[in-house]
Amino acid sequence: MAPTEPAPPETPPSDAPIQLLDPTGNLSTDDRLPLDLATVDLAALHRDMTLTRRLDTEAIALQRQGELGLWPSLRGQEAAQVGAAHALRHQDMVFPTYREHGVAWCRGLDPVALLGLFRGTTLGGWDPYAHHFNLYTLVIGAQTLHAVGYAMGLHRDDSTGSGDPDRDTAVLAFLGDGALSEGETNEAFIWAAAQNLPVVFFCQNNQWAISAPYSVQSRIPAAQRAAGYGFPGIRVDGNDVLACLAATRQALHQARSGGGPTLIEAVTYRVNAHTTADDATRYRPAAETEDWAARDPLERLEAHLRSTGAVTEDHFTDLEQRERDLAEQLRAGCRELAEPDPASPFEHTYAQMPADLRQQLRAHLEFVSSGSQDGERQ
Amino acid sequence: MTSPQQFLLPDVGEGLTEAEILAWSVRPGDTVEVNQIIVEVETAKAAVELPSPYAGVVSALHAEVGESLAVGKPLITIDTGPPGEPADGPSDGRTTRQPEPEQAALLVGYGPQGAGAGRRRRRSVAPRHTTSPPEERTEDRAEAGRPDHVVARPAAKPPVRKLAKDLGVDLTTVIPTGPGGTITREDVREAVARTTPETVSVPAPDAARPAETRIPIRGVRKHTAAAMVASAFTAPHVTEFITVDVTATMRLRELIAGRREFRDLRVTPLLFFARALVIALAKTPEANSSWDEATQEIVLKRYVNLGVAAATDRGLVVPNIKGADRMSLRELAQALADLTATARAGRTSPQDMTAGTVTLTNVGVFGVDTGTPILNPGEAAILAVGAVRRMPWVVRDDNGDERIEPCWVTQLALSFDHRLMDGRQGSELLAGIAEILHEPGLALL
Amino acid sequence: MVKALNDGLRQALTDDPRVLLMGEDIGRLGGVFRVTDGLRKEFGDLRVVDTPLGEAGIVGAAIGLAMRGYRPVCELQFDGFVYPAANQIITQLAKLRHRSAGRISLPVVIRIPYGGGIGSIEHHSESPETYFAHTAGLKVVSCSTPHDAFHMIQEAVADDDPVVFLEPKRHYWTKGEIDPASPQSLAQAVIRREGTDVTLIAYGPTVPVALEAAEAAAEEGRSVAVVDLRSLSPWDITTVRESVHRTGRAVVVHEAAFSHGFGAEVAARLQDEEFHFLEAPVVRVTGYDTPYPPSRLESDWLPGVDRILNAIDRSLSY
Repeated sequence: MAPTEPAPPETPPSDAPIQLLDPTGNLSTDDRLPLDLATVDLAALHRDMTLTRRLDTEAIALQRQGELGLWPSLRGQEAAQVGAAHALRHQDMVFPTYREHGVAWCRGLDPVALLGLFRGTTLGGWDPYAHHFNLYTLVIGAQTLHAVGYAMGLHRDDSTGSGDPDRDTAVLAFLGDGALSEGETNEAFIWAAAQNLPVVFFCQNNQWAISAPYSVQSRIPAAQRAAGYGFPGIRVDGNDVLACLAATRQALHQARSGGGPTLIEAVTYRVNAHTTADDATRYRPAAETEDWAARDPLERLEAHLRSTGAVTEDHFTDLEQRERDLAEQLRAGCRELAEPDPASPFEHTYAQMPADLRQQLRAHLEFVSSGSQDGERQ
Repeated sequence: MTSPQQFLLPDVGEGLTEAEILAWSVRPGDTVEVNQIIVEVETAKAAVELPSPYAGVVSALHAEVGESLAVGKPLITIDTGPPGEPADGPSDGRTTRQPEPEQAALLVGYGPQGAGAGRRRRRSVAPRHTTSPPEERTEDRAEAGRPDHVVARPAAKPPVRKLAKDLGVDLTTVIPTGPGGTITREDVREAVARTTPETVSVPAPDAARPAETRIPIRGVRKHTAAAMVASAFTAPHVTEFITVDVTATMRLRELIAGRREFRDLRVTPLLFFARALVIALAKTPEANSSWDEATQEIVLKRYVNLGVAAATDRGLVVPNIKGADRMSLRELAQALADLTATARAGRTSPQDMTAGTVTLTNVGVFGVDTGTPILNPGEAAILAVGAVRRMPWVVRDDNGDERIEPCWVTQLALSFDHRLMDGRQGSELLAGIAEILHEPGLALL
Repeated sequence: MVKALNDGLRQALTDDPRVLLMGEDIGRLGGVFRVTDGLRKEFGDLRVVDTPLGEAGIVGAAIGLAMRGYRPVCELQFDGFVYPAANQIITQLAKLRHRSAGRISLPVVIRIPYGGGIGSIEHHSESPETYFAHTAGLKVVSCSTPHDAFHMIQEAVADDDPVVFLEPKRHYWTKGEIDPASPQSLAQAVIRREGTDVTLIAYGPTVPVALEAAEAAAEEGRSVAVVDLRSLSPWDITTVRESVHRTGRAVVVHEAAFSHGFGAEVAARLQDEEFHFLEAPVVRVTGYDTPYPPSRLESDWLPGVDRILNAIDRSLSY
């Protein structure tokens, strides 16, 4: 089915990100982002954000205990990820970067599966087709082109614009503020625009690309860049789960119905360092982090839940238990992650192992099985 | 019942090999929970708080504030209580087993590996049999359905091949005794020893190449030198020369080369020189004798074993044709061809080179006119034949008029042992050979 | 060869509706070498896609399409312009099967006109094959005849692994018979000419040159075999050994630079596996360790008949 003409670009968004839920928990409306609260499960949002944070915290501890080599923390970005994830339909395909643990959680991945990559037992860790959640991509921006190609495929197998909610499919591609500078990301924008593809680019602008502040990447807000390519950009408060949810729903609907791509800029903050190997105190002031702490995404939602009585106290106590369970699941699961089979790299380099590689594998296994001279190490 | 668990200092991913204790958050006796911060350590760049992997009671701290502790060493012991409680047991030994995914900036990974990575037991390396022809590795070729050709070729590594080439040894004649059916240096030397009296021992190749090169005296060269010395300083040598118009022989050569029975043979001037020598020798038996110093006898031989000097890669060899006097021209041609081929292949046997009675040496093949050949020890005469050239010659016609014509001309040189022959016999022999070459019809006599 | 490729692509598009072509100028124009001529008209612009100008985009999008179940055949317009795509090819295309433990399959073909000898300007005569042959997870092949072009392109499309398909542009207009039967597999080498004195090993554009040199050598009384590798990764050492075992002498011919080129791989394997049967060192006749020269210099810079004959002489001098 031929794609419809793209919607005319928005009038350039003002610098202020659109916000529905303020830091104190007060909810307001905004014509640019209509949101029917009856369709929103606030308790589920809160639960997913809380468990995402707990997942992240446990993983950091595991790294500090030597169980993981590395962990890229998403602390502070829970609203952006969970809000966006809740807008997804089952059949939509997600292309994450390497920090979207909250999206993975909402998609139904076993959170232990996220650990293997950072423990060194795998380079992937899950089946991308099982939950429509691609493997993490460590090369910055590369996944945006994969998302574009996937969207081209949707376009060709009539998976957009039919009006059938179970059939219409969109792609949600995550990227950071740093990725906006990669050539491939920009190529992805070009392709998406020129072909009017059903892809939503969700940029978590967490202000820092390792030690480079956003100003190093761009003079203008990320959302404004979209106009240059010819598709809409929308800037939302990335710590406001409802704004993120509303914006992503709107954009995904646009994409699914053949309306083409959108760039969502979720303005948020990377509370922790780039990864556990990074030391953020070297390049950003503590005051900035404190400043952002006052805009914490979980606190405002909790405040809202309590003040509106949307949930009972049970919600919170149950949640605490679930957090403990999750923590234990992660700790135990991490240590039980299977060591990779020495033959596995050989088996998965090609669809069928070429003869020469088979020879190498034989020699390698022979070497590996010759055993350790010193016996088990301490 | 206690269940003490040790928490070893982990590598927190910055390429740590050690950390300094900045501050303890707990003391022995304190109860701690999982992930409770227990200590702050100083890494290469920043301070890092470490959370406890265990819940329980702190039994002991293993380092003091200000002390540097190596990664992998015990940091704290926590008693996790009676068995049955969830024993969180990280085996920190795993931290240093993972390979470091990135170099340089210590931003990712577990950091450089600590000391003590286990070494693998080295097993004696069984060499892959590279001598197996490619046909033996047929796993993925089965579906190709192509015929497998097995070409049997001698197997020898490059230095051995070179040795064989230097010594003039044909590898197909060598018996391999090396691993996997390969030919070794010893095998090549053994093949040489089978074909020469001396055992050739080849020294290790010279690495340096100074202004002089020193070659050990051995093998063929040594033997030849000894023979030359023995001959030159025992037999009084006289050499006589003659220049002869061999045009008639050259014509005869063409005629004979065209004959059916000579089709597959090389008909060379040398063949006719050899034939002429053998024929003329009949009239001068002293030239086919030897001086037996021990018995004080001259031994006249009624058979002619015609030696033909051959230059090979190994040096001068002089195999002889047994009973050359009893051979027809064609037989002689075949014998010459065989002798040459055998010599070139380096397969001349000791038997071939003994019991010669007279020798022919062809210096003409090098474009040389003549020389003063040295007798093959034990022989009385040696004939050197030179290049056959077009030269101006005085020709007398039937009227007795003389004119200059280009003719085929060559020079013959006969060295003889003056103990066995006088100048008269030598001259008669030489003139006799020349006469036949000048007028081949005289051989009918 | 162009027509053979065109027919092969047409057949592939016909046989499997998931096959699609993508690249710059391949649709309306039919490709700068006309390899895709007429295909857009026949199969439509959704299956023969004129892409934006960006090699990284072409390969990256192909990956996404492949993840959605399609079988994209990319064209990168010239060898010298493959480099912007190198990141997607090397870090993603080659590795996703391995990264996903076999769950992601990327049956992508990347067609690249390559090689010199057409008197062209800079970046239009490159031989980048070793960068890709050295990357685990990729297959790299090169056809040398119209027959092989027709069959190999279809086999590459049908292969479930990513294939870098190198087309020797100087032979795009070479004519040849196409036999409907093609007994070799994509990874198999073929002995193009039998011989007993020396084995020439070549691929792509150097195969015809090697055959020419073999003919010239025959006039000098030498019996020269020629092996067409066809596939560089994986490569069929078994067939090569079949010939080299017989001759004991090998000469590798490629346009790419001398040092660290494919000839080095062949020489290393042959000296390892045919050590006791080599009469001479493995000789390589190749381009030089310089960037590709201005076209006026290329005929001497490229490995031609004379340089191959010199190499044969050298080999036989041992």
